[in-house]
Amino acid sequence: MSRGSISIDGVGKAFGTATVLHEVNLSIEGGSFVTLLGPSGCGKTTLLRLIAGFLEPSRGTIAIDGAPMQGVPPRRRPLGMVFQNLALFPHLDVFENVAYGMRIRGTAASEIAARVSRFLGLVGLAGFERRRIGQLSGGQKQRVALARSLALEPAILLLDEPLSALDLQLRRQLQVELKSIQRQLATTFVFVTHDQEEATMLSDTIVVMEGGHVRQVGTPGEIYRRPASPFVARFVGDINMLDGRIEAVDATTVSVSVAGQAISVPRSAVVGAASAGRACQLACRPESVRLTTQAGTLSLEGRVSALHRLGPTVKAVLDTPLGPLTALSMADTPHVAELAEGKTAHLSVPYDTFTLFAST
Amino acid sequence: MRGATSAPRSLGWLLLPALLVLALFLGSVALLLFHAFWNKDGFSLVYFRQILERADYHDVFLRTVSIAAIVAVAAAVLAYPIAWLLWRLPRWRNLLLVIVLVPWLVSLVVRTYGWLVILGPKGFLNETLKWAGVIQSPLPLIFNDLGVVIGLTHVLMPFSVIATLSVLLQIDNRLEEASESLGAGGFETWRRVVLPLSLPGVFTGLSITFLTSMGAIVTPILLGGIRQKMAGTQIYQEVVYNFNMSKASAWAICLLLLSGLGLALLRAAEAALVPKADR
Repeated sequence: MSRGSISIDGVGKAFGTATVLHEVNLSIEGGSFVTLLGPSGCGKTTLLRLIAGFLEPSRGTIAIDGAPMQGVPPRRRPLGMVFQNLALFPHLDVFENVAYGMRIRGTAASEIAARVSRFLGLVGLAGFERRRIGQLSGGQKQRVALARSLALEPAILLLDEPLSALDLQLRRQLQVELKSIQRQLATTFVFVTHDQEEATMLSDTIVVMEGGHVRQVGTPGEIYRRPASPFVARFVGDINMLDGRIEAVDATTVSVSVAGQAISVPRSAVVGAASAGRACQLACRPESVRLTTQAGTLSLEGRVSALHRLGPTVKAVLDTPLGPLTALSMADTPHVAELAEGKTAHLSVPYDTFTLFAST
Repeated sequence: MRGATSAPRSLGWLLLPALLVLALFLGSVALLLFHAFWNKDGFSLVYFRQILERADYHDVFLRTVSIAAIVAVAAAVLAYPIAWLLWRLPRWRNLLLVIVLVPWLVSLVVRTYGWLVILGPKGFLNETLKWAGVIQSPLPLIFNDLGVVIGLTHVLMPFSVIATLSVLLQIDNRLEEASESLGAGGFETWRRVVLPLSLPGVFTGLSITFLTSMGAIVTPILLGGIRQKMAGTQIYQEVVYNFNMSKASAWAICLLLLSGLGLALLRAAEAALVPKADR
């Protein structure tokens, strides 16, 4: 395993009587890009600060590359951090900001100059050495912060929503660069965000958090296709949720009734323990709702109540006997061109695209 | 109710007190200039010549500037750790701030007399040292320049504390965390981040305490030596005892110029020492 692995074992954190993190177990592989994803107040920043050492866990242990980190101050941990507000030193120029860590270590001046220019080159800021921080744009500050924390070549880089203050276009551009820098250096990146699109685009592994709990750990694909709970399903991308009741369970299928209509889904679609008589939620992604009739699928008719043409795709909300369903189709698929608000449309949902959450 | 547009005209009378104060101020300055530059024969520099030609007056100016500089530096050095502590202990900040400011509830004269009780020849400090066998005869801690420096530093230090604290409070604590995550210990972070960012506050404190010390009257009268005058006491004497307004005015103008020079030097030092921190 490459360096920069983190193992988080039973870590909890309470401030006074308020528990902000419950029993987190997480193993982060060295050299991977891991995102802590969740709504504000879910404990993701707390977890990041625990890894950084700015907070000590109330319970449990954190180890980096096998070495326990208990009582080790941030400056002795093999990690760098990029702060949400970047925390660049306003009284130092770009060069001195990037050189800061090396000055503390007493690195030779020639080595400092070489490394500063190497890392400023890496983030695309060659030639900006003598600029003042106040003269930089938001994106440039972002790059300086990245270069500053990478210049010490830490095994792990922690990033606390560093892109949240930037406009969308710049954000997308920096995401691409961030990913490419991470691949080049093979440094472990632990990235905190509340933006699921950002998480999906950047990460090898996404850790979805809610209310101080880790709800799911997986690749972006796994989290999207097989969410572990209705919360994760709703948080990561759009999803249709239908309330129903489990009618029968057999070896291969589970029968559910939704608004009086029977739907059979494969057993593999079930999350949780399915037993007859239980309430459940049936979920499917909008792109699984097709605007065609197809054999072997759940076929419905619905009236278009809202229609959004988004360029390459079309998003339609349909009133069906099961309740409102959102459908997302490519604009050039058959029948989509004729869609209009108020019109009736046929739609079909393949049974194997459902996820069934059995209530506990 | 009348429209908002007519408000400036109808509220114009609110400017009256300000104009009155301004008139009073400008009138006084005009009077000062008149006294200093006019004698019975018209425009004259005779009063300035009187001051600049006397060697003992040179000593007074030198002493004034030296004492003011020493007081400013002493107040800044003593105030910095206090301001730092107040910054570091947010829970205790209000209480500690009250302790720093509470002497101001007592009149300046009373506070200054307090130093007589402590520093006088038969004061607390000398008696204690004598009792402990450290000294045989009382140390001359008062009625000299040392007494003036101690008294002024005590009186003016809270200005330095507040000036420094107000700048410290503007420092984003994430900067310290950033410094720490880059390998710096507490002292290193202070030296490389906190100190440079708090210097503007230190310089503000230096300016306030220096200027106030330059014009000090009460403290040098009470704690200083009888023959060791400062510019302020000299002016006081000319006005109150000698009724020599012209000489007093010339003194005041010299003091003003000297203070301005001191302030300019401070600004230059600040510009050289403090890198422009643009936020």
